[in-house]
Amino acid sequence: MTEENVAPASDSILVVGGGISGLTTAIEAAEAGYEVFLVEKNPYLGGRVAQLNQYFPKQCPPTCGLEINFRRIKDNSRLKFFTLAEVENVTGSPGNYDVSVKITPRYVNANCTCCGDCADACQAEIDNEFDFGMQKIKGAYLPFEMAFPSRYVISPQIIGTEDAQRCQEACQYDAVELDMEPKTMNFNVGSIVWATGWQPYDAAKIDNLGFGQHPNIVTNMMMERLAAPNGPTKGKIVRPADGKAPESIAFVQCAGSRDENHLPYCSYICCMASLKQAMYVRERDPDAKIYIFYIDMRAPGQRYEKFYQQAKDDENIFFVKGKVAEVNEDADTKNITVVAENAVTGEKIQQNVEMVVLATGMEPTTATAKLPADLNYTDEGFIINDFENGGMFAAGCANKPADVVSSNQNATGMALKAIQTLVTR
Amino acid sequence: MADTYVAEPDLGFIKEVGALGGADLKKCYQCATCSVACPISPDNKPFPRKEMIAASWGLKDKLISDYDIWLCHNCGDCNTRCPREAKPGEVLGAIRAYAVGEYATPKALSKAIANPKMLPVLLAIPAVIILVMGFIFNSFGLNWLNFSIPAGGEIWQANFIHNYLVDIIMIPTFFGAIAVFALGLKRFLADMHAQAVADGKAKDEKIDFGKVGQAVVSTVLTIIKHNKFSECGENKERSTAHMLVLFSFIGLFIVTNCFFIAEWVLHIEGPYSQLNPVKWLGNAAGVALVVGGILLLRNRMTKKDQASSYWDWYLVGLVLVLGLTGMLTQMARLAGMAGISYTLYFVHLIFVWSLFAYTPFSKLAHLVYRTAAMTYAEYTNRQ
Repeated sequence: MTEENVAPASDSILVVGGGISGLTTAIEAAEAGYEVFLVEKNPYLGGRVAQLNQYFPKQCPPTCGLEINFRRIKDNSRLKFFTLAEVENVTGSPGNYDVSVKITPRYVNANCTCCGDCADACQAEIDNEFDFGMQKIKGAYLPFEMAFPSRYVISPQIIGTEDAQRCQEACQYDAVELDMEPKTMNFNVGSIVWATGWQPYDAAKIDNLGFGQHPNIVTNMMMERLAAPNGPTKGKIVRPADGKAPESIAFVQCAGSRDENHLPYCSYICCMASLKQAMYVRERDPDAKIYIFYIDMRAPGQRYEKFYQQAKDDENIFFVKGKVAEVNEDADTKNITVVAENAVTGEKIQQNVEMVVLATGMEPTTATAKLPADLNYTDEGFIINDFENGGMFAAGCANKPADVVSSNQNATGMALKAIQTLVTR
Repeated sequence: MADTYVAEPDLGFIKEVGALGGADLKKCYQCATCSVACPISPDNKPFPRKEMIAASWGLKDKLISDYDIWLCHNCGDCNTRCPREAKPGEVLGAIRAYAVGEYATPKALSKAIANPKMLPVLLAIPAVIILVMGFIFNSFGLNWLNFSIPAGGEIWQANFIHNYLVDIIMIPTFFGAIAVFALGLKRFLADMHAQAVADGKAKDEKIDFGKVGQAVVSTVLTIIKHNKFSECGENKERSTAHMLVLFSFIGLFIVTNCFFIAEWVLHIEGPYSQLNPVKWLGNAAGVALVVGGILLLRNRMTKKDQASSYWDWYLVGLVLVLGLTGMLTQMARLAGMAGISYTLYFVHLIFVWSLFAYTPFSKLAHLVYRTAAMTYAEYTNRQ
């Protein structure tokens, strides 16, 4: 067909989402010699991975892996990234897409040295989404100390207030620009990779597991922030109710996952995440007791299996086969009793613990907000890859629940798919 | 493992449980949410998780002798919480239906009663019995079945079908049903006890009859007060419907016995005055039966997530038809509509006979098996 000989109108690639998958796709494609635009809706790159304390199974901090990628971005002139940027509209066909991207103002320009004077000057405090609201931050803030781009953000919530003025006055480098306007950028690209990632399933919807009703019931992502040195407690795992380090913790697996009433699929990572978090607690308190309530433990592959075995060998980690279906709070101690049937012994267990972690699953961001492009989704909101049609691809958790390793493998593959779109036409 | 257990799967059983309303059984992945969601499940070996796996393995013998299936009141809390929509409550209901069929003799009748296509035949049986018996007695000059009632006279059912004829048919049927129940119950009790001893749910193999007596009393009180129903989260409203139907059946049983004594012992002929206290009870019970039947129907119609099989509809229909034909017979009589009253009475008798004869084979058999299971649970202090 003659069509195949037609050069694509554009030989650039757009990657949507600057989490671990998007970073990988963008960097791999750029390093292969293609022009790449990476757009990220948050003021920083790194996505969900940036919020983690450690990766499983090696238990290394994610900033380590992210830093290498940020280095690669800095070194590559073919890769241009935009934060606070969201795709507004996509038209065209494989080889020739016109994309408009809306850039929300950061109110801080490239002069920023991260001195923090603006945050000191700002009096208003806002909820910190990065820490799931577990602490307040100033209206002028650095998302986290390893944030890339390494630049403060002025929250739109304080724009127009005296606080914004104070920030501007405090800045010695003329970095605060309060008159920054939202702008729209247009890109012509040959292919698009959607790496729009995931969000934790809203645990409050699982009404029998007490999240939002009892303070000592937290989610696994909150647990990551509690354990992280840059988190709200500087890495101390403590109960939200009273700041006490819990001596016993129950992990509730499949909290919302594999459940027709919530997420019908297995979220893939929660078993490993709980095993990992059990280790966080055990490292900090050698006497702490951990109870993991599960339906099936899923530790796929030899490395994960080994990790699971390590947890099983720990005499203070107890595995109970049976899903927690009821939680009760003791009004005085704020301790939680979780109720499950041990399906092995056939006994109903009422385990009293000081804190509960719900191993909530991952929901694609596209489950709650569909993208402004011609894409097909599963019933659960994951993007279905249409390789027949090509041109646009979903990478990482936008396509299916996955861990970091599989996301990276998948993202690399999608970089190649995006490149193939450019060269075969 | 020291004690191995060889499962003997009965594939036919799995299929039947599916047909009886447990079609989603195989969706179960044994998370055990149901056992916790159930408000009346005991802490030691709770149901229905273990029943779900036993059913999907086709362990028929284990299940029909498992009295836990009868402790379930099918409130639906487990169905709501089930992450797989496997409907454990429906599965247990289906196993109960299967167990009723297993313990009732003859089996052919069990099969017929579970089969909607056989309903016309089953209803024709009492009609034929009444007619044939009537003609036989008529041939002896007793004239107990009278199709030529002179118009204008007092309307009274007995003028059409004599009470003696009714009683001669109904009483043996009633005791026949009791006999079928007795046979089934004997086997059920033996199986249940053996299984409970094997599972460690009952500590002592020997039965202490004094304790059984106490258990009967407290179980009957529990049933009368509908304590188990009120523990349920979902479908609490079923308690009212069940209470109305149960109490009206008890009331009607008392009324029937009173008038039986009036007829056979005291030789007082009806129709009885509406001022008679026994009549009050009869009317109150009749109204309660109709209202209860309508509530049963409404609950089943509005509850979309609860499957209703023919097994369930049979009982709802029976209750409603019994109540309606009974009340309407009397109303037509008082309104002077002789033909309608007599026709309805004939229909009413067909259903009364069906109630007696088919109860050991139908869902209504739960009145015996559930009471027995609850008593046994009380006796073994199942908690």
